[in-house]
Formats: sequence, C-alpha cells, structure tokens
Amino acid sequence: MSSWFISHGAAFIVILPLLMAVITALLPAVRRLAWFTALIVAVLVALVAFIVLQTQIDVGAFIYRMGGWEPPHGISLAIDAVNAPIALLIAAMAVFTLIYAEPAVDSEVQRKKRAPFYAAFLLAVAGLIGMVVTGDAFNVFVFLEVSSISTYTLVAMGANRDRRALSAAFNYLILGSIGATFFVIGIGFLYAETGTLNMADMQGILANLDGGSRAAQVGFGFVLVGLGLKLAMFPLHTWLPGAYAYSPTVVTAFLASTATKAALYLLYRFMFTVFDPSFDYVAVTLTYVVTGLAVIGMIFASLQALFQTDARRTLAYSSVAQVGYMLLGIGLISTLGLVGSYLHLINHAVVKGGLFLSLGAMWYRFGITRISDMAGLAKTMPITTAAFTVLAFSLIGVPFTAGFVSKVALAEAALERGWYWAVAVIMIASILALLYMGRMMMVAYFSPPPASAMGEDGRVVRREAPLLMLLPMVGLAVTSVLIGVRGNVYLAEVSENAARVLLPGGGL
Amino acid sequence: MIDLLQINPGLWVILAGVIAALMPVGPVRKALAIGAPILAAFLIFTIYDSTEVLAGQFSVLGVELTTLRIDNLSVVWGYLFCLAGFINAVYALHEDSWITDSSALVYTGAAIAGVLSGDWLSLFLFWELTAISSVFLVWQGGAHAYAAGIRYLVIQVLSGVLLLAGAVMFAGANGGDWTFGYVGLETTGAAGWVLLIAMGIKAGFPMLHMWMQDAYPKASITGTVILASFTTKFAIYALARAFPGTDILIWIGCIMTCFPVFFAVIENDLRRVLAYSLNNQLGFMVAGIGIGSTMAMNGVVGQVFVHVIFKGLLFMSIGAVMYRVGTAKASELGGLFRSMPYTTVLCLIGAGSIAAFPLLAAFVTKAMILQAAIDAKLWIPFTMMLFASAGVMEHSGIKVPHFTFFAHDSGRRVKEAPWNMLAAMSIAAVLCIVLAWPWGGYDILYSLMPYETDYKPYTWDHVVFQLQLLFAAIFAFNVLKRFKLYPAERRAEVVDADVLYRRVGKNMAVWTDAMWTRLGARLKRGRDRATASVGRKLSQAFSPAGRMSEAAPSGLPAILTAGLLAVVLVVAYIAAA
Amino acid sequence: MSDPVTTAERDLSDIHPAARPFLFLGETKVKRNFLWLPLIGLILSSIFGVIHPSKYPAPWETIGDFVIPGSWAIFGFLAYSFIVLVAPLLFKLLARPEDYYGEGGLPDPEVSTDPAITGEAHHD
Repeated sequence: MSSWFISHGAAFIVILPLLMAVITALLPAVRRLAWFTALIVAVLVALVAFIVLQTQIDVGAFIYRMGGWEPPHGISLAIDAVNAPIALLIAAMAVFTLIYAEPAVDSEVQRKKRAPFYAAFLLAVAGLIGMVVTGDAFNVFVFLEVSSISTYTLVAMGANRDRRALSAAFNYLILGSIGATFFVIGIGFLYAETGTLNMADMQGILANLDGGSRAAQVGFGFVLVGLGLKLAMFPLHTWLPGAYAYSPTVVTAFLASTATKAALYLLYRFMFTVFDPSFDYVAVTLTYVVTGLAVIGMIFASLQALFQTDARRTLAYSSVAQVGYMLLGIGLISTLGLVGSYLHLINHAVVKGGLFLSLGAMWYRFGITRISDMAGLAKTMPITTAAFTVLAFSLIGVPFTAGFVSKVALAEAALERGWYWAVAVIMIASILALLYMGRMMMVAYFSPPPASAMGEDGRVVRREAPLLMLLPMVGLAVTSVLIGVRGNVYLAEVSENAARVLLPGGGL
Repeated sequence: MIDLLQINPGLWVILAGVIAALMPVGPVRKALAIGAPILAAFLIFTIYDSTEVLAGQFSVLGVELTTLRIDNLSVVWGYLFCLAGFINAVYALHEDSWITDSSALVYTGAAIAGVLSGDWLSLFLFWELTAISSVFLVWQGGAHAYAAGIRYLVIQVLSGVLLLAGAVMFAGANGGDWTFGYVGLETTGAAGWVLLIAMGIKAGFPMLHMWMQDAYPKASITGTVILASFTTKFAIYALARAFPGTDILIWIGCIMTCFPVFFAVIENDLRRVLAYSLNNQLGFMVAGIGIGSTMAMNGVVGQVFVHVIFKGLLFMSIGAVMYRVGTAKASELGGLFRSMPYTTVLCLIGAGSIAAFPLLAAFVTKAMILQAAIDAKLWIPFTMMLFASAGVMEHSGIKVPHFTFFAHDSGRRVKEAPWNMLAAMSIAAVLCIVLAWPWGGYDILYSLMPYETDYKPYTWDHVVFQLQLLFAAIFAFNVLKRFKLYPAERRAEVVDADVLYRRVGKNMAVWTDAMWTRLGARLKRGRDRATASVGRKLSQAFSPAGRMSEAAPSGLPAILTAGLLAVVLVVAYIAAA
Repeated sequence: MSDPVTTAERDLSDIHPAARPFLFLGETKVKRNFLWLPLIGLILSSIFGVIHPSKYPAPWETIGDFVIPGSWAIFGFLAYSFIVLVAPLLFKLLARPEDYYGEGGLPDPEVSTDPAITGEAHHD
C-alpha cells in the first residue's frame, strides 16, 4: 500500500480532493456529514503529501507521468525540494482549518450551503496543490483557475455574516481574473518562443537561447505581473484586504496561509527555474522592480495596517507587508535570500493562519470585528488570547518564535549583499508590526471587559472558544514556538535544499 | 546534570523575581528580594578565580554563545549590582507591592546577567529584559507616568534593536564570532556606529538622553531608586568593554558633563534634578572610557562603583522626603531638617560624596579620571570636566540639600523616614565614607580595579585645590544669594530635547493624521465621483446591501496592474538591450 | 494639630528630638553670616595652594611662568557664577507651564502648600 502511495502519491493528492469535491457537493444536508468527509479527505491528503515529501527527501526530485505519457507531450507532475514541502504545508493547513471549521462554519454559513461550501473548499485544496506540483505551465493556469474560482465562491459565502463579502468577492473575482489572464498571456508568449509547455523543457530552451528574444521578455513581464497580482505584491494587493476581512473565518485563514503562498511558489518556480537570474532582464527586474516594490510594500502596508480599525483588515494589510519580506528574499538573488524567503513563507503561513483563526474564535463568541471591541479578552477568552499573543509575537519577530528565525535569516542575507538599508527596512517594518499587533494586545489585556461580559455577581465570565476551535489555534501557536526554538534542525535544511534547487549556482 | 556554577548568577535573581511575581505572601517576597542579590554575589565570589572565567557555552542557530564570563572588568559590575540590589531591597521593605518586588528582582537579575554574559546575543537578550522589566517600575508611579513609561519602553527597546542589528553586522564582518569584546570605530564601519548609538541611548548621550529625565522622576519612590541603579551603568559597562580609547567619547562625555548642569539649575522637580545630575556623572565615565588609559579605566570603574552608591543615597533621601511629604518639588519644600534630621545628615553625606569632598567617595575616583586627562594633555576636556565639577557642586551638592532641608521653612512638620529607608541610606553612607577613607579605605576600591594602581589621592596639592574649588562654589552661592542673584525655585516644565518628540513630533503626527484623513476623504470623493457614472449600475447589480461603492473595483487596481506591466517591460527591455 | 498650645511649646513639640539642638541653623542671622565660613576656607586653601603648588598646572593656571595663586578658587567662583547667572535666561527660553505636555504635573492640592498658583517664589 505504502509503495503505491510512493509511486502514485503525487497524483493522489491532486485527484482525491478533486473527485471528493464532486461527491461532497452532492451529499445530503445531514449534520456534519460534509464536514466529516472533507476532514477525512484533508487528513488523507496531508498524510500522502507527507509520504511524497519523504520520498522526495529519500530519492531526490522525481517526475510523475500522468497516464504514462512521457513529457514534454504528456502531462507530468514534477516533485522536487521546492514544491514538496509547500504541498504538505497546504494540506496541513487544510487539516488545521477544517478541524476548526465545524463550529465556525456552523455559525457563519447557511445550512443549505454547507455541503457546497466544503465542496468548494476541497476544490480549492485540489487547485492549490495541483498548481504547486504540476510540471506543465498550462496546467498551472488550469489549477490556478480551479483554485481561484472556488475561492471566489468561498469568499462570497461570507455574505451570511457580512454583506460586504459579496462586493469583496466580486472585486477579488475581477482582479484575480486579470491576474490569471496576464499569466496565461505570458505562458502564450513563452509557448511561442519555446514551442513547449513543459517547464523543464522551457528552462532548457530558454537557457540555450540565453534568455530568448523579445517574446520571452514580454512573456516574462506578463508572468511576473500576473503572479504579482495573485500573491498580492504591492501595489497589486487591493483585492486582498476586502477578501480577507469579509469571507468566512475558515476561508480567510486558509487563503492567508496557502493561496498567496502557492502563487509565491510559482514566482520562485518561474523566476529561478524557468527563467534564470543569469539573464540580464531577470536579474535587473528582480533587483530593482521586485525589491523596490517589496520594500515600499513592507513599509506602506504596515502603515496601512496601523491605521485600520477592523482587526481582520489589520492582519490582511500585515499579510501584504509580510509578502514584501518574501519578495525581498527573492530580490536578493542569493541562496541565503531564498532560504530566508522560503522560511518566511512557511512561518508566515503558520502564524497568519493561526492569527486569523484566533480572531475568528473571538467573533464566534462575541461578534468581535473591530479592535476596540477586543477589550478584556484576556479575561474572557484566556486561551484564545494567549495563542493570539504567541502568534503575534511570532509575527513581530520576538526571539524564540518562528518570525524571529526567518527575519534574522533575511537580515543576514541582506547583510551578505551589503544591503544595510534593507536590514533597516526589515527593522522598521518589525517595529511597525510591534505597534499594530501591540495595539490589539493592549486592548485585549489592559482594557476592562465590556459590561455585557460580566456575570450577575459582577465577575468576568469566561467564555472560551469550543475545543475544536482551540485545538488548531493552540497547535499553530505551539508550532510557531517550536519553529522558533528548534527551527534550525529541520526547517532550515528544508529551506536550504529548496534554495539550492532554485539557485544551483548560488546567485549573483 | 548541568553544573550549577556554569549558570549565570543573574539568572537566579531573575528566577527569584519570577517566583516573587507568583508569591502572594509579602514577607517571602521581601526575603527573596534581599536574599537573591546576596546569593548572586556569593556565586560570583565562588566562580571567579581572578582570571577570566568562561562558562555556560552552547550553540544555538549556529551561533556560539558564552552565557557566563567573569573577568576583572565584569566582576566589578557583578558585585556592584548585587550590592545595589541588596540596598534597594532594604529601602523597599516598607512597600507592599508585588509588582515592584518582582520587577525589581527581574530587572536586577537581568542587569547582573547582562554584565556577566560573554556574547552579543545574551547581551542583547538581557539588554531588552532590563528595559521590559523596568518599565513596570515607571508605571508604578501612577497614571501620569503611563505615557512616560511608554516612551521609556519604546526608546529602550529601540536601543536593543539597534544593538542586535549592530551585533549582527559586527559578527558577520568578524566571520561569525559573536564574542562580546572590543569593537572600536576604526575598522568596523557602520557596525561600530550602530553599536555606539545603541549603547549611547542607554548611557544617555546628549540628545539621546531624554528618556532618563522623562521617566525617572515619574516613577514610584522606590522605583526611581531602583531604576537609577542599573540601566545606565549597564550601558557604561558595555561602552567600557566595546569602546575603550575611542576619541569621540571624550568629547561626547565632556558635553554630557556640562549640559545637564544648566538644566539642573532651573529644574524644580528635585528627582529630575538628580536625573540630570546622574546624566552629568555618566559624562565623567564616558569621557574616562574615551581617554582609555589604564588610569582612566581604573577611574571609570571606581567612579561607577561609588557613583551607584552615592547617587542611590541621594535618590533615596529625596525619596524618603517624598514618601513623607508627598512631593519632591523644590518650590514646595524647605526647612525639613527640623523634622527629618537623620535623613538630612545622610543626604549631606551623599551630596558631599558626589561633589567629591575629601574623605568622601568621589574624591578618589573623579580625581583619577581628571588625572588621566591631565596625563594625556587633554586640557580642554579637563577644563570642561572641572567646570562640570563646579556644576555638580551647584545642583547636587548645594541645591538638593539646601532647598529640601534648609532654606525657607515650608512649615511642614512630618515624621522621620521609616527605619528601613534610614537603614538602606546608612549602609550607602557608610560605604561612601569607607571607600574614600585615606588609611586603607580606598584600597578596597583599588582591589576591584582592572589594572594595578598606586595612585595617591590624598596629596597636599590635590586636597587643597579640590577644596579651593568647593569652597569657592559654596562662597559664590552665598554671595549670589545675598545679592538676590540666585534664581528662586519656580514651578515650570523645563523643555529639553524631548520636546522634539513629545511636542513637535506629536503635533506633526496629529497634523499628518488630520491631513491624511482629509486627503483620504477628498480623494475618495473625487474617485467616487469619477467612477460613479460607470460604476453605479454595476454596484447596484452586485451589491444588495448597496455598499458596493466602498470596495467596488474602481478600475484603479487594473490600471496599476497595467502600469506595473509597462514598468517591468521597460526595465526588461533596457536590461536586455 | 489644632489643640491650642503656645507657639514656643508647639515649636519644640513637633520638632524631631535629634534636630532640637540644631534649630539655630534656621535663624536668619546664622544664614546671613554663613557666608564667612566658605570664605575662610577659600582663603586658607588658597594659601596652602601657594605652599603646595599643583604638580600639573593647566595652561590657564599660569601666565608665562607665573602660577596664579588660588587658580581653582577663581575658576570655581567664575564657573559657579556663570552657571547661576545664565539660569534666568535659560528659564525664559525653556520654561513652559507645568501642564505643557498635557500629562499632569500641576501641584497636588492634597499636599501642596504653595501660597500662590501663579508661580511666585517663596524661598528667601
């Protein structure tokens, strides 16, 4: 059995959720049935993704041929040190969020829409994993659309809670489609230049052409901007705050920790293994445009986060800033930079997913969306607030948390290039993070709880989130601390392997 | 099993603080507060064997850490902080506050652990811990101390962040060697400057000093005494370790000795006067570090040691007055020697010590720093420091005791200070006398100094010239008083460099915020109007709630996308051409 | 405090026992004539300074080869006077109302004995 998973696991983790999505959509509206199905599927996918990752570590990069057709003509799934961990990350976050989903979706989505909700969720999982593991550029587009369209639906389902979810979903739909269109146009140009859709082939041909003609450069531009929109690169992030703020909690947490990360993975893939920083136009664009936007985004989005009144919008803008960190790592074009970027990608997925889950629990109990409403949460929901605090520390980059590890890695990478100003920017952005996260924690810890939270006898009544919500939150908080304390043992190696695959030459 | 002697003694004090934080029984907390510094001092004594002791090494994230280093420099600070922790604990015996007890212990422990740590990362950790643990002491001062505490915390944490950045740069340039040692400015480039500024913030360099005069006077009575003992001296230690003999420090130090003198004269709040005086004393130390000769470094070490004692004594006596009277404003005080005679005598000993009267503490150590300046033929710094010595006499030697205990009788009749305050002050006062005692007393001080010395402070010319300076100052005070030229104490808020962020910066932020809001509203209105005609039908179609106008795709993101594409294409075109 | 006792009795009763022998320090005559004490010390130490000259005179302590007697006394007097005399000027430049920063700072009416809220001097 396990040997079957080893040989077919890569396809399994895409096809299982894809098929089960259809079945889930048709399930009767029996209580919890759809949730349970989705959870089982997610757990299975996560297990197999883990097996795939282990296989990759044992045997190195390998290619799975769909239906036995040889690439470049057949469709292939290419697993290597870059995408195997991200596939596991997506599957694991799906498990975490789905555990949490039972009580959350119960309160946020209408009963009759619950089966379609979980179906769309599985579809999104399938699409995200698909676009990560595939080795075919057009396939990337297909899975990108699969995941995007299902996410538009998921975001719109927040309308039961807040009508603004509809406009946010629409906004997301328009901009997401623009991004996907740009991306597919870019692929078209690359196809015209190279005559292939297989990414490994494209790489070989482009390298032979020494970067290729103007067509390849135009393709490069379209791919970069299209992906930039998908991963919320500043200033193409405008869809993100609305989509994150108004969609159901589960969706926000899942999107924040996986959707932009998958797009970022594609950016790694295209910038470093399809194109190559040894082409002048790639190096210059990464160094000046991407780094520049990354840095502006870090500062600007952090400032925007500071001025929000809505807690989820604050975190959403913070996500844009954190994407800036990851882009900065790319813009450095060095192994160390990619290590930092990759580490930050994983850490941020864990941290931001956990933060959104904790905020969701606060909404679940008290209907809290604004920061000013968070008063006294340390007393009313101590465990949730504790998890939130740990994760917030991690986001800020306090030592012994995940954020510290990756920020230090990024700072070291910047120092290696002699970019002292970039270290300064990282620090400023961290200080801003301290301010906007600190603002929430100040309210949660130091403001007295509202009168409605008091019992008959004037004492504060504890109303902690249900166990199914607490488990994933605390799990993610503990993970972030584990990464902070022991991150050098395992994650650093994973990141270094990924960086080595992306930049075998060690960068500029 | 870990060897217990491998553990930094400061950590035990921090542990005691954590226990105190959970301890509801007051007497147990007090026992911890007194016992922990004694235990730490005993451990230092056990571990140290008059050579450099390195212990507690392990590596984390690929960085080699040395969490314990006791050598001839750090051991002085180690003992000193234990002593100060003990005296402060006695002084705070009357106060039943678990916040003060626990944060004072953690703060003391962090300072001890910080000076005894041998690598940049541990240093940074305790550097930040001193900041975070001590801010609670500021907040203990009451509601009006809240904002000052926040400012204190922000500035201190900023100093820590800079320290970490500098350390990362420095270790990176040194091939990953994280040992905390000499840095200097000649070969280290930006790393050296960043580290210097990080330490300068905590040490109160001119223009970086305002957190001290801002926060210290607003803390609780015991809080101020505890705060004044550690943070700045910790920074002096770091400077002595990293920047001895750095020329620019001479000038920074001399400016530091001089400018607080002027502020101290016009300031009304006596605890703030003492904070300025503290800043001025730090100037002597910084200048000594800048000179960097063996004489100067000995002088600095001695000066730090006695300074903590006599400055603590002064803060304690004013604290005792405040405890009884309720205020420390010179305009509200006067004539208190009638009610608090013991405190008066003890305060006078502190005042005499800081002014460097013969037979009192600073007489020996300040002379060594001045002698080092003379030896190096640094006449302008020497003159500046001499000028500042006259200034010390003015604000700490005369103004503080005179306006509190003598001068015009304010008519207040209060009780003498509680016994534990008197005990703590007495310990400090006795030490002030013992450590400057001409017949063997100052040899105790010499035995602590990092280098051998045979400097003789009690020579005819030194005693006589020092007395000339001090008598002249007292005489000038009396003459100016007689001719009504001495300014009366007046109630006022004296603005210092902090006006830049407390007033100008704040107003700018408020203004920017207002403008931002207005601009945002204006922009939104303009954009709404422009898109209204096109967007109205879409919004009505897609938003049942009618709120489409807020988040509708206004077309701006799409234009941005296209614009960015154009930028990328142009860049790629130029790069490939 | 309100019990009717004579001034002389009350003066002593609320004075700390250890301070009673030193009450003369508060008398105006003593305060005015205290001036002579440092002056005598000043003169004596200057004379001793001539007998035991400084081993390392600063450049400003000498005119040519001639060492100015009481050089540190002159320096101290001038420095002290300078510091005090520029104080009113600095006060004008830097002093603001006590609630300038809006963080409190006004005298606490519970403990204040200040006769005037206008900031009148009350020391002699």
